[in-house]
Amino acid sequence: MAVKLGMVIDAASCIDCKGCQAACKVANQVPDGHWRNWIKRGDEEKAALDRQGLRFQPGNCMQCDKPTCVAACPTGATYKEAKDGVVRIDRELCIGCGQCLAACPYQARYRHPQLRVADKCDFCAERRAAGLQPACVDTCPTKARVFGDLNDPDSPAGRLLRGKASVQVVNQQSNTDPNLYYLGDPGPADWPVQAKMPTPWQFWKSLGGPALEALVGLTGLGVIAMYGRQLILGDHDQPPEHASGHPEGGDHDQHA
Amino acid sequence: MTSTPEASLRRHTKAGMFMHWFNAACWLFLLCTGLGLIDNPELRPFGPGYPAALRGLFGGGGNLLLAHWLAALLWLAVWAGFIVFYLTRHVIPFLRQVAAIQVRRDLEWMLKKQIQMMLGYRLMAVLVKPLGWDGSLPEQEYYNAGQKLAAQGIIAGALVLVATGLLMLASKYLLGPGWASLVQWSITIHYLAALFTTVLLLVHVYMAAISREERPAFISMFTGKVPADYAKHHHKLWYDQAAGGDA
Repeated sequence: MAVKLGMVIDAASCIDCKGCQAACKVANQVPDGHWRNWIKRGDEEKAALDRQGLRFQPGNCMQCDKPTCVAACPTGATYKEAKDGVVRIDRELCIGCGQCLAACPYQARYRHPQLRVADKCDFCAERRAAGLQPACVDTCPTKARVFGDLNDPDSPAGRLLRGKASVQVVNQQSNTDPNLYYLGDPGPADWPVQAKMPTPWQFWKSLGGPALEALVGLTGLGVIAMYGRQLILGDHDQPPEHASGHPEGGDHDQHA
Repeated sequence: MTSTPEASLRRHTKAGMFMHWFNAACWLFLLCTGLGLIDNPELRPFGPGYPAALRGLFGGGGNLLLAHWLAALLWLAVWAGFIVFYLTRHVIPFLRQVAAIQVRRDLEWMLKKQIQMMLGYRLMAVLVKPLGWDGSLPEQEYYNAGQKLAAQGIIAGALVLVATGLLMLASKYLLGPGWASLVQWSITIHYLAALFTTVLLLVHVYMAAISREERPAFISMFTGKVPADYAKHHHKLWYDQAAGGDA
């Protein structure tokens, strides 16, 4: 089975220390005012009544199996890596149009203010290439974030996923089948938004594109038909003026 | 005055012919690379193989995008130069000719030309003669009605392509997030405008390169000249002016 990188997260272990956020920012040079990961804070009023206490929910791009961001990208600059399932961004190809930003139910993406391209968590691609774990996982003091191949029953993440009950945090209108799993109670679960496809993009797919593609196709067919007719009729079909002075009609056949 | 078979009229200058073929090469390159830049599971006009092959050829999607932009900027720069240097000699006369629509005459030409193209001259002679039409078309100027309409459409399409293309280029190198909506519309409109001009160019290529009747016009894009006979038949009003002036 193909490698499917993901995280299994224990929200009960998270103490909201922000270590993962700081480590990520440093490791990936995330610009001021933007974040590639987060810790969602639970409801304090509810927590006061609940013996479990306040929940903190660490998260980041969920490297979804049905990524709406990939569906919103016209050029494939955002794509799902076949070898490990991580959703990546080709910075050279991306022009920063922002269609993917609104398409993410987790608002995991931002537009890099200097590079003018979309940016988000890629499970620390550079660190992984060097044989390291993602920075947030490495730095977490309570091991709330566990990273690995979800398809491998012997990886740390795979073992947890099989051994315990877990949930995905999804918006029911936009279930993207995310690859972040939460053990037990994930805490806040109502924050993912509905994925939004930009109006021009919808117009392209539903109306404008098909209409003009049909027009190109019909014109192409017309040209082929005209060419076929010309092949069949050959040089016989000439305008009457070319017979200069002669009555048109039968005398064309002389050229045959 | 009867024209001898060898008599010919000058129809294009060297600069005009250069711009025509330079334009053709650029449009073809931009169309091919542009279509290769579209790669989305829900779109892919030619399936996933075409964008993948083109990206392989150029060494990645980023390089393909760069090639598309560099070609577009070269095309734009040469056009800008041409417009500046040939404004009075070429550009303004061309635009005048292209804009010279006479609604009644040109509508009649379009209608009759369509019937003629569909039926052919011989069949048409049989079918429309009884209706009182001898099969001839209204006399045309330097450009016929179809050429004028196609030129207007292609100029409009080109302007839209330039504006939306520059907005997308600016998105990567200049603009902040406030422009997102405009850039997103640019992507869609750029594609639609490219298809629209492709429709007109398909007709243009058929007329010029495939249709036998228009063969002299095709050859004139290399020699600069058309036979007087051809000019007389296809562009009578221009012929009268040009040949009359010479004679």
